[in-house]
Amino acid sequence: MAGSRLLKKAKGSYLLYSGLIIVVFFIVLAVFAPLIATHDPTAINFDEVFLPPSSVHFFGTDELGRDVFSRCVYGSRISLFVGFVAVGISLAIGVLLGLLAGYIGGITDLIIMRIVDIMLCFPSFFLILAVIAFLSPSVFNVMAIIGLTGWMGVTRLIRAEVLSVRTRDYITAARVQGVSGVKIMLKHILPNVMTPVFVTATLGIAGAILTESSLSFLGLGVQPPTPSWGNILTAGKDNIMFAWWLSMFPGLAIFITVMGYNLLGEGLRDVLDPKN
Amino acid sequence: MIRKLLVCLLVLTLFACGQKDSKNSGKEESFKKRDIKGAVTGDAFVESSLGDATGLIMNITSDSASHSVTSKIYNGLVEYDKDLNIVGDLARSWDITEGGKVIVFHLRKDVKWHDGKPFTAKDVEFTYKFMIDPKTPTSYDADFRLVKSFDVLDDYTVKVTYGEPYAPALISWSMSVLPSHLLEGQDVAKSPLLRKPVGTGPYKFLEWKAGESITLVANNDYFKGRPYLDRYIFRIIPDTATTFLELLNGAIDTMGLTPLQWTKQTDTNPRFTSQYDKYQYLSFGYSYIGYNLAKPMFADKRVRQALSYATPKEDIIKGIMFGLADVATGPFKPGTIWYNPNVKKYEYNVEKAKALLEEAGYKPGKDGIMAKDGKKLEFELMTNQGNTVRQSICEVMQKSWEKIGVKVNIRVLEWATFINEYINKQKFDAVVMGWNITNDPDMYDVWHSSNCGGQKLNFVCYKNSELDKLIIEGRKEFDPEKRKVFYHKAQEILAEDQPYTFLYVPQALVTISKRFHEVSPAPAGISYNQDDWWVKKEDQKYNYQQ
Repeated sequence: MAGSRLLKKAKGSYLLYSGLIIVVFFIVLAVFAPLIATHDPTAINFDEVFLPPSSVHFFGTDELGRDVFSRCVYGSRISLFVGFVAVGISLAIGVLLGLLAGYIGGITDLIIMRIVDIMLCFPSFFLILAVIAFLSPSVFNVMAIIGLTGWMGVTRLIRAEVLSVRTRDYITAARVQGVSGVKIMLKHILPNVMTPVFVTATLGIAGAILTESSLSFLGLGVQPPTPSWGNILTAGKDNIMFAWWLSMFPGLAIFITVMGYNLLGEGLRDVLDPKN
Repeated sequence: MIRKLLVCLLVLTLFACGQKDSKNSGKEESFKKRDIKGAVTGDAFVESSLGDATGLIMNITSDSASHSVTSKIYNGLVEYDKDLNIVGDLARSWDITEGGKVIVFHLRKDVKWHDGKPFTAKDVEFTYKFMIDPKTPTSYDADFRLVKSFDVLDDYTVKVTYGEPYAPALISWSMSVLPSHLLEGQDVAKSPLLRKPVGTGPYKFLEWKAGESITLVANNDYFKGRPYLDRYIFRIIPDTATTFLELLNGAIDTMGLTPLQWTKQTDTNPRFTSQYDKYQYLSFGYSYIGYNLAKPMFADKRVRQALSYATPKEDIIKGIMFGLADVATGPFKPGTIWYNPNVKKYEYNVEKAKALLEEAGYKPGKDGIMAKDGKKLEFELMTNQGNTVRQSICEVMQKSWEKIGVKVNIRVLEWATFINEYINKQKFDAVVMGWNITNDPDMYDVWHSSNCGGQKLNFVCYKNSELDKLIIEGRKEFDPEKRKVFYHKAQEILAEDQPYTFLYVPQALVTISKRFHEVSPAPAGISYNQDDWWVKKEDQKYNYQQ
């Protein structure tokens, strides 16, 4: 019953659809990258440096003669990978702490929420930069750090939802029956608070992709030879006066992907919001 | 490194002090006019600098911005001429006796400080004492500490005695001479002269707007004749992209271009071609890949030779430097007498590289990576941030060495971290870096085994007793023809051992506004005769009344 109502609402949401199409497009691109790419993304060819876009090199070539199209295609793998894993990490931490804080309450709640407040005090990008400076930059460190610095919003969200759900009659009933706290949290509360989390997670992926690109742009993210949109852009920045294709295509890719996830998130929110 | 930098800067800029008087140096007369036909005075030269100067006494600053300014204000006792011969500057002539242990300088008598006081031997003595004073915050004291005694024979003669013959001694006296009458007994580090210098050079200090510009004005009493240009202006522009735009707008008169700007952004741009001429000459520096010889992996020279054979130097020069570099075979500049062209060259040869690795006991593993006793040939290649050429080289090397089964991980670090935490502490595998080449061939700082490790310049820790001997002997020989033998042999040793893979010597790519006449590159660079540069009345852009 509820499902069909949601479906009906979803049908009218252009936001949701356009977002979904973009997201699916880039996922397909990432999964089938080796089939789609026309060249080896790391093959250096000094006879073909800075070629403008053509039928051979759709997006032109870079300063080492590598095919920008193939690099962008492979770059989508990194972006999606980082996006999903980082958000996965922050979801895991956020949901766990949020449940504990909301359900147990009292001193546990107090401590967890103060930790959240403390973490929120740091401007997260600079925190990430500082941590990367200590560890060496790599895909895994970047994912872990983005995940570990992005869970606070989820915690707050879950806690608020849990606070309202835990006073419901069915929770009281479960508790009276002697069901253990862990079981109540996981089986009875969690499924009922996950809806807003989907929206946050979708928007979070957009944020994580953007952060990864920024880090790679600064040379602190994904390291060569692995292409990522951010580090393709870095090379583009130096040559923007005469090789516009180097900045334009990875830039567009970042822009469109981030917009896709944002549209999807907004669309989901509209559809899932019971007030609409 | 700082000393290297200084010496290099001296080379590139001190020549501004004009050099046509080498024939006249014996005469006592002071000529205020220069003898370029048709030249007129007026106009200004505008140069840009990425950073502001830290202070205007060269002896205690180490940043290139300060040195560019001070080289116009002060003189040393000697300098290099356009062909890199050592000639007199404040010294009229000199005698080297006792097998090179003693130098007697005869000073010019026609030199005045910018405040009108005469220059005498007292100033030289003060400068020497200042350089060796432990309280002086200078990085350039090493040469002067080898002086055993310093004597003032009369007002215009000084005698310097060394413990043993030291060939780089003479050029070490190109250090700026400071005014004793203003600095004697003062704390120089806090002296007002740091902000308002007084020198003997072709330009006098006019004003310094912090973070914005430093302006100098022609010295009418300059002992080699007043420079033709009225003013010399340094503008501080902290970003190369902005500097290039300023150049296109005609707001600055010179700039060092990147190979990319040189090939792609100048000839096709009428705003550039209508205003500027381009000059290209081999620069005083080389790029290399250095291996940490303290690591067992690099201890075997066959491994290093293999890595060198698998280095596509020609491709790097063609692709990354746009052909604007020469292949380097050792630490000397091709074309100089110190350079030995007949050393072992490592022309790109993957098969030979593989054979050498196998000879050294390496065998390809299941993953294709060469391994010996279970240890894979995998290491980190580091370089500093902000240098896109070096980063590109890292990527090329990663790909090239992959072909001989060597796995490389690239790490790019911020400059200060890179030097302090990794280079100085010897915590690196291999690095892509560059050195300046000094005119004096002394290799002691970078290659002598006593300079291994602990913030010293032989940071790869190369130790070779034969080379050590050559370096020490080379320092004692004054005759260039005899001296070069030591360094030619040294290059053969380095070529065989490959402690570095020498990559290339880049071209200096300089652009200078068309309005200046008398600009001509020479072995010493381009700015050696800057005091002779002049602008036709109708082309002059700037006006100034002294």
